[in-house]
Amino acid sequence: MIGYVLRRITQLLPVLLIASLGIWAMIYAVPGGPIGVIVGENATQEQIDAATRQFGLDRPVLVQYGAWLKNALVGDLGVSIHSREPVLDLIAQRLPATIQLAIASTLVALLLGIPIAITSALFPDSWLDRALSGWSALALGVPTFWLGILLILLFAVELRWLPSASGYVPFWESPIQMMRNIALPALTLGVYVSGILARFLRASLVGELQADYVRTARSKGLRERDIIGRHVLRNALLPFVTIVGLMMANFIGGTVVTEAVFTYPGLGRLLITAISTRDYPLIQGCILVILVIYVAINMTVDVLYAYIDPRIEYA
Amino acid sequence: MNRMMRASAMTRRLLTRKGALFSLIFLAAITGAAAFADLLSLDPLSQDLVNALEKPSAAHWFGTDELGRDIMARAVYGARTSLLTAAGAVGIAAMVGIPIGLVAGFFGGWRDAVLMRAVDVLLALPGILFAMAMIAVLGRSQTAALIAVGVTGIPSFARVTRAQVLALRKRDFVTAVEAFGGTSTYNMFRTILPNAWSPILVQVVVLASVAILLEAALAFLGVGIPPPTPSWGEMLRTGKSFLYEAPYYAVLPGLVLTLTILSFDSLGRSLTWLLEDRHELVELNVERAKP
Repeated sequence: MIGYVLRRITQLLPVLLIASLGIWAMIYAVPGGPIGVIVGENATQEQIDAATRQFGLDRPVLVQYGAWLKNALVGDLGVSIHSREPVLDLIAQRLPATIQLAIASTLVALLLGIPIAITSALFPDSWLDRALSGWSALALGVPTFWLGILLILLFAVELRWLPSASGYVPFWESPIQMMRNIALPALTLGVYVSGILARFLRASLVGELQADYVRTARSKGLRERDIIGRHVLRNALLPFVTIVGLMMANFIGGTVVTEAVFTYPGLGRLLITAISTRDYPLIQGCILVILVIYVAINMTVDVLYAYIDPRIEYA
Repeated sequence: MNRMMRASAMTRRLLTRKGALFSLIFLAAITGAAAFADLLSLDPLSQDLVNALEKPSAAHWFGTDELGRDIMARAVYGARTSLLTAAGAVGIAAMVGIPIGLVAGFFGGWRDAVLMRAVDVLLALPGILFAMAMIAVLGRSQTAALIAVGVTGIPSFARVTRAQVLALRKRDFVTAVEAFGGTSTYNMFRTILPNAWSPILVQVVVLASVAILLEAALAFLGVGIPPPTPSWGEMLRTGKSFLYEAPYYAVLPGLVLTLTILSFDSLGRSLTWLLEDRHELVELNVERAKP
């Protein structure tokens, strides 16, 4: 098991390394290069020379990359050009908000997706199944940002139940305020994810329900509820774990868009602001952190999968 | 049966599916409107500040925006932006992705390993973030949006093509061409590729949907095609500021965008169903990177 984990990590290392090289090289591809980014467009030759020496830009590029990577590994992502604050601090301020949104929307997705999948799978090809499949297609196809706008129109503009812009309120400070603020963003993102959940879990359940052990369980008189809950669901969840991994890319992308819709102060909004103010150290930092989170989650999903399914060989 | 007859038989079967029929009608209508927008006497740029943010009326079917411009005209010209960007992006993805998949699958070995690892690096970041990073470097322009959306589509084409090639590689007709001394290039492009088209076509439809969505999402985030070019995402972005005064501003262009995406999705599902029916599907790795 430990060997398997180590092997997965060694497989991921080259990808991580190349991706980090790409993120680092970003600043060199920008018109004006790193110097232009640091000193601005109208700098004098003396300022340029001073900055070149100060930031070590006269060293060979590979040495520069090595230094950048070494700093990044110990958490030094440089200083934001705009606010002059350390990039890591800025990211650390925003990360809890994004994590809270991610957890809340996962809950919404599970609450919507699992019942839909079970209902669909129990009555395959019925009108109910077709209606619920239609729901999944809609949930997947409707752009997150349009759904968010529709929800704001209904719950904030028409009914005036919830705020149209969501702030970050930590759960432990005020659960009620937190719920009011997170409800619409979590619903927006959760509906989309529930579409993926429902579609794949349904397919997986339909397959399991035709298995021999289900017939055996039925013939010995087990209640349908126990058959589903104790046997089928557990087995159907196995292939499903891989889907969770595949889903992460969409989930992270969805978070960025959802944060923009509700002006929610998370990591995604920080990145968008950084891009519009051309704050390259901050852009690099945000993307690097998202990359690491993304790879770490995929890695966890792989290991989890191997752990719950003893048939997977990790020798 | 020749190819023309086969294609028309396929089309007829496709049209028996209601979803596919409606999708094709809608897409034809929106493409027609985008192509002949200049003949429709719609002006997406003329401002009329006295009549800003007006409700939908006979003169302005979708109402007017904050500068008094006709929202319907902007939605129609936005369709042109969206469809052209999607077509260009899918073209870029196909032109790079298909050769990668062909070479990787045909030769195997180190070429396969190197090419597919390179493709994996493109997948190391979620599509929309990759596109945002590229725009951060290239600056905000129409070309940047096109390239950014196109590059994110390369992995799907490479993977689907590679899977097809692997399935066809050891078939007799491919071996025969090799035995007669056909070059690898000839074999890849003239023997294998013509037999691998169907799943690639499905991928084109699926990616068109993804590309339209991605372009709109980038514009919505304020990093896509810069104004004043009309774009659905940009309209949603601006419309969001006027939800209290003019709710239709964000709702109607969003509806057109959503129907376009749903049409491509539904068409993609119908094509997949058709191919599964004919057992032509080797491994459809339909990847959806939805923002």
